[in-house]
Amino acid sequence: MLEIRNLKATVEKKSILNGLNLHIKPGEVHALMGPNGSGKSTLSNILSGKKGYETSGDVFYENKNLFDLEIEERAHKGLFLAFQYPLEIPGVNNNNFLKTSLNAIRKARGEKELDAIEFLKIIKQKAKDLKFEEKNLNRQLNVGFSGGEKKKNEILQMSILQPKLSILDETDSGLDIDALKIVSDGVNSLRDESKSFLIITHYQRLLNYIKPDFVHVLKNGRIIKSGNSDLAVELENKGYEGIN
Amino acid sequence: MSNIKKIFIDKKISKSELENKNNYFEIFKKKGFPNKKLEDWKFLDLNYEINNQIPNLNFVIKKSKINKNQILENIPINIKEFNYVLNINGFVEEINFSHEDKSFINIETNPDKKNKIISNALENLNLAFNLDYLCINIKQDYKVKKPLLILNVIIENIKSSNINKKFDIFLEKNAEISVLNLVQNNSKNNFFNLHQRFILNQSSILKNYFVDINKNQNLNYIKTDIEIEKNSISENVVISKNSDYCKNEIVCNLLDQFSSAFINGIIDLDNSQKHEIRTRINHLAENTKSYQLIKCVLNNQSKAVYQGKIYVDSKAQKTDGYQSSKAILLNENTEFNGKPELEIYADDVKCSHGSSSGNLDENKIFYLMTRGLNKNEAKKLLIDGYLMEVIDKITDERIKAIIKEIIKI
Repeated sequence: MLEIRNLKATVEKKSILNGLNLHIKPGEVHALMGPNGSGKSTLSNILSGKKGYETSGDVFYENKNLFDLEIEERAHKGLFLAFQYPLEIPGVNNNNFLKTSLNAIRKARGEKELDAIEFLKIIKQKAKDLKFEEKNLNRQLNVGFSGGEKKKNEILQMSILQPKLSILDETDSGLDIDALKIVSDGVNSLRDESKSFLIITHYQRLLNYIKPDFVHVLKNGRIIKSGNSDLAVELENKGYEGIN
Repeated sequence: MSNIKKIFIDKKISKSELENKNNYFEIFKKKGFPNKKLEDWKFLDLNYEINNQIPNLNFVIKKSKINKNQILENIPINIKEFNYVLNINGFVEEINFSHEDKSFINIETNPDKKNKIISNALENLNLAFNLDYLCINIKQDYKVKKPLLILNVIIENIKSSNINKKFDIFLEKNAEISVLNLVQNNSKNNFFNLHQRFILNQSSILKNYFVDINKNQNLNYIKTDIEIEKNSISENVVISKNSDYCKNEIVCNLLDQFSSAFINGIIDLDNSQKHEIRTRINHLAENTKSYQLIKCVLNNQSKAVYQGKIYVDSKAQKTDGYQSSKAILLNENTEFNGKPELEIYADDVKCSHGSSSGNLDENKIFYLMTRGLNKNEAKKLLIDGYLMEVIDKITDERIKAIIKEIIKI
């Protein structure tokens, strides 16, 4: 699904990623943990196509060079980034945005675009599943949403778009325990043998709800240790300083 | 005098009226088209634009043969659903208030007005040459049920390079009307000069909107005067988008307590278009309110101007005045000029103004693109969202729907 080989990245001459290797197979859930400034968000930005980084190394997504794809093409091919800080877009209705987004992706895949009624049926069910208040669908995209509502909205987008590879960038930060459970249930309901997840987090807490197949520790732009979910527990006990 | 006589030779017109027209024309000739030496015209010089685009400005009054049905077919609105005044090439072709109780609406054409001295050159030009000047009076307590569309169509190949239109609407006590001014100008290098006046008596409500239907290479000057009496509300939204050059000037006089004026506008330009909205709100009594929001989007060498003045008379204590203008510049070669002004002679008032300009937020574009939209789609969504704040100020939902359809937002 995703293969990262010796990825290096610098921004304004400051090197952030220093030879990162990661291999995610279909159906796997990987957790990437690391202290502030270790390069977690840089990795998710680079994977989703944000400009402003100088990179070297290779990233293959479904055996194709990811860097050959524009931002929106990555989305069309099933890559999804749940933002750490989802942006507020004034004047854009949340529902219309979700429909525009889904139809842009369906169109690119050669699938039939959904009309308003077909879309409404889907969105209503998904919103209900995620306990996402229906009135928020008719608000402006993320405008005035609480931190938790914004994160839930990201997961709602994810469940509508049904991506093959989802990158969750600190989706758990700012969530109360109930919201964390709902968001985790949302992710778990999407899990199957074809869909993969890269979950970026500071804390082990989220991983109590979303059981990862692999846990990696990112420090100074490099994965310094990989293991199974026990590694997350070890991290929680020892802290990042205690991991070598 | 000979000039004017020749022009109006086919029209039935009294000698005194002709004399009036001639006087106005003489004043206009003395003043000429306003140029950048005048403070109010310093950003967009009309004289320069006229010389450039219409070097042989002429005024021909002959009616051309037209096919009314064909013209109506080309309008993207079914006007029969509304009240309407259909003006073709400046002539009133049809007035239709079939949705209303006509005993409450009085319409007069070319009323006998006293000769007034007016300093604005373009108003003098208008008074000299306007055709079928309409005065519509809405009687006390009558709330006009359907919006009134004033549809100004100018056909292709029209001989006259200048059309002057004038109308007045009087709202008696407690009356209400929504008016949408539409311009479909199919000619080229034509100067459309529209003057509208609204008199709002006590507790009346006016909703007044303006939009150009089609992209066109013409010049517009729209002058709006609004007199607002006690407890009355005037809501105005200007969509300035489709002609090469357009200047909207709106003057509101808040004459008595608890009167309010709202002016909102969009200037959305591309390809060297030049548009301006200039407002003047005169707070002349206690407890009056005004609100203005102007949003601009500028692409490819276009230029927008907003000059907004709030004047607060010494009598106008407890005035509440707000004004904001914002611009998004999509290229480096675009220009936005904002000139907000407050002139306050009372000491117990709340007035604020602000102006800002900037680019589209790259992070927002990125966010939308990660959801599958290409760059142009992402930009369009952001721009439409930015402009929606103004569209949402249109409180007449029927007109809001028409405008959204016309500007494809």
